[in-house]
Amino acid sequence: MLLALLRKIPFFLALYVFASLAIFAAINAIPGDPVELRFGKVVNAERVAIERERLGLDRSFVERYILSQKQFLTGDWGRSLGSGQATTVDFFAFMPATLELSFSAMLLGVALGLSVALFGALGSYPSMSRLANGIGTIGLVVPIFWIGIVLLVVFSLWLGWFPMGGRFDMASIQPSRRSGFLFLDTVFSGDLASLGIAFKHLALPAVCLSVFPAASVASVTYARLQEPELQAFIVALRSRGYGTARILWRHLLRVSAGTTITVVGTSFGALLGGAFLTETVFSWPGIGRYLVTAILERDVFVAQNILTFLVLLVIFVAFVSDLIVFQLNPKKEEGE
Amino acid sequence: MMKCQIALCLVLTLFALAGCGPKADTPNEAPQVFVFARGSDAQKLDPADIDDGESVNTLTQICEGLVRFKSGTLEIEPWLAESYSVSPDGLVYRFKIREGVQFHDGTPLDAEAAAFSFLRQMDESHPAHLPEAAFSYWSYLYQDVVAVEAVAKMELEIRLSQANASMLRSLAIFPAWLISPSSLDTYGSEMQRNPIGTGPYRLKEWRRNEAVILERNPDYWGEAPAFERLVLKVVPDNTTRLLQLKSGAIHGMDGLQPTEVAALRNDPNLTVYEEAGLNVGYMAFNLETERLSHLELRKAIALGTDKQAFATVALEGAGRPASYPLPKGFLGYPSVEDKIIYDLERARKLAAPFVDLFRDKPLEILVMNAPRPYLPDPVTAATFMKGQIEAIGIPAKVVSLDFKTQLDRLRNGDFETALIGWVGDNGDTDNFLSVFFGSWAAEKGTATNYSFYRNPEMDELLLTARKTTKTAERAELYEEAIAIWKRDLPLLPLCHGDNIVVLSSQFEGFQLQKIGDLRLSEIRVK
Repeated sequence: MLLALLRKIPFFLALYVFASLAIFAAINAIPGDPVELRFGKVVNAERVAIERERLGLDRSFVERYILSQKQFLTGDWGRSLGSGQATTVDFFAFMPATLELSFSAMLLGVALGLSVALFGALGSYPSMSRLANGIGTIGLVVPIFWIGIVLLVVFSLWLGWFPMGGRFDMASIQPSRRSGFLFLDTVFSGDLASLGIAFKHLALPAVCLSVFPAASVASVTYARLQEPELQAFIVALRSRGYGTARILWRHLLRVSAGTTITVVGTSFGALLGGAFLTETVFSWPGIGRYLVTAILERDVFVAQNILTFLVLLVIFVAFVSDLIVFQLNPKKEEGE
Repeated sequence: MMKCQIALCLVLTLFALAGCGPKADTPNEAPQVFVFARGSDAQKLDPADIDDGESVNTLTQICEGLVRFKSGTLEIEPWLAESYSVSPDGLVYRFKIREGVQFHDGTPLDAEAAAFSFLRQMDESHPAHLPEAAFSYWSYLYQDVVAVEAVAKMELEIRLSQANASMLRSLAIFPAWLISPSSLDTYGSEMQRNPIGTGPYRLKEWRRNEAVILERNPDYWGEAPAFERLVLKVVPDNTTRLLQLKSGAIHGMDGLQPTEVAALRNDPNLTVYEEAGLNVGYMAFNLETERLSHLELRKAIALGTDKQAFATVALEGAGRPASYPLPKGFLGYPSVEDKIIYDLERARKLAAPFVDLFRDKPLEILVMNAPRPYLPDPVTAATFMKGQIEAIGIPAKVVSLDFKTQLDRLRNGDFETALIGWVGDNGDTDNFLSVFFGSWAAEKGTATNYSFYRNPEMDELLLTARKTTKTAERAELYEEAIAIWKRDLPLLPLCHGDNIVVLSSQFEGFQLQKIGDLRLSEIRVK
């Protein structure tokens, strides 16, 4: 385990340098001087020059890149040019909301996707097999914001079961902030009413965002279980007289765990992308919306640092899922 | 059997999760709370250092100025000052501060306290002249102010280096609103997010990118607002925002698309407020490009543009055609209208000699891809203009960009023609014409005169008019300036976009303001 970790470090470092450089170059290439644009409707050239110098924007590309990485790694993420707020303060304000949403969506998605794929693979549920084939297509093709709006219309507007977006009631007092994760905060404060409110706000966006992971998990796992050797395995298990439940829980779940974890690990990036759209439709105050606004507003320090962090996070998650798969089945890595 | 049970369990769990608890408790059951939704959040809450409409609209509820616009007009009325006087030479303004007003933190308002909000912008060594603040409006609208001084306990004097006819109006808008002099001591640089004003509401909580929650100021000197709380909620998605309004989860909203408005006008549960905004959407001709330097060609485009059709197609009725580069009712707006009348035949004739220039490279129309107050649907507007220009024989193409990129290219003169506009700040004519035509505003990189039009005659007129305090004389000068614009045509005015706000019809008392700020504290339940 430790050895596997160590072996990956140079690879991880190389990825970091490549990713951070690509991000820096891309943000640098967006037309428009961030300081000039920050000054609003009427720009004062003198003040722009002073501000550029203060922010170090007048230096060369290489100097700025090195400085930006030094600042990124030391946690000095600068301030938003628009709001003047420290980027790290914003990060800790918005990131938990996104993680809460993505994590719930992932959990829900895996549960849904796995159930469909497993039942489908057993072969005795023709409708499930069709669903397993269909859900992949639907989940990957239907735009997420459209799903979001349909959910809002049906469950909020017509049925009135859920609030129409937002993370908490405007009329209620939010539990005091400890972790920033509303769920944990409500649990810490032992406030069940708040937990209920937080849960109701989370439900629809989580369902909306879970469609994509559900689809990926269902289609990939289903395809894996369709492989002849596994189909033969199922037949063998059945011939021994094992019941459906035992086949599912004791055998198929284990066999498909590796595939599922790989899918989860690699689709985490796409999930964050979907989080932006979900955050927009459901007025969810997350990092996705914050980041996209920052890019559109040329808020360079925010965009640079947050984007670098998210890319590293995505790589890290993929890496960890790799390790877990290896732990589950050490033969796999040797064979490759 | 087993399979049914498992499937059933799954389905039941989902429903149990979904159905738990009573109907979503939205704030509409509490009449003490008014919820207004908008597309994005405020950026900062420091009146001296903001630029975006959402921040201004938030502070409108919290802060006030010495003077303000009388509701629904461009007339000035004394506000935190009981009265004011201007010296005959227009250089000294004296404000008698209202007695008995206090800031939200209890600090009483006097002349010294009022001076704080000006001095911190003007004086670079002032402790509240925060290094991270741009104070961009100070160097733009208040550059003539040389001294702000408390001459008596309740008397504030503002002295100018030269007369400036738009100063009083500039003192009514947000950069001149007052905040408590103890702001810095209480919050340090966080004062930019913690406004302490004198207004009808005070800040209770700011859940960033979620909502600004305000509560009634119990010590307000004026008429108390009707609601205990006012929530300015962020709902970025247009469709969601409209759904929320229809469901009653929110009580009012802005940022509507014209197509949506059309459908709302007949809804008995909603009241649509719409009025021509203080803005001009126009086509800028870059006079520094070879092809657009031909006056005859610019005239041809102007004559070949059917503005009535433009308003119908591109604005879908949510705006009106613009004949002049300033809104109707402004000082200098021609008393006898002599507008450019659509004449396709003449336009074709005028354009004919130039057609060859565009054979290989069509005319480029730069446009932003997201709505602006003066152009709710910019790409449709640009496509319409392309059609009009092609009808006079000139091939054209539309290049759509995000707003900031477009702005950058405009300021640097890196375009041929562009659809763009201007939203007035203080309701003064100078705030339009100088921005469009002053040669001092045609510097590459910081330009607002996107046509890069330079004419000493025009400069002279604008500078004289700015200093002239006699209204009739000023009006004449501006009429002359308009005549020169019409002769030289550096830009083609197209439309004035409407200000649109929709409220649930259970409320009344709301009045749209000319400069576009939302006075939500005036809203009452019917």
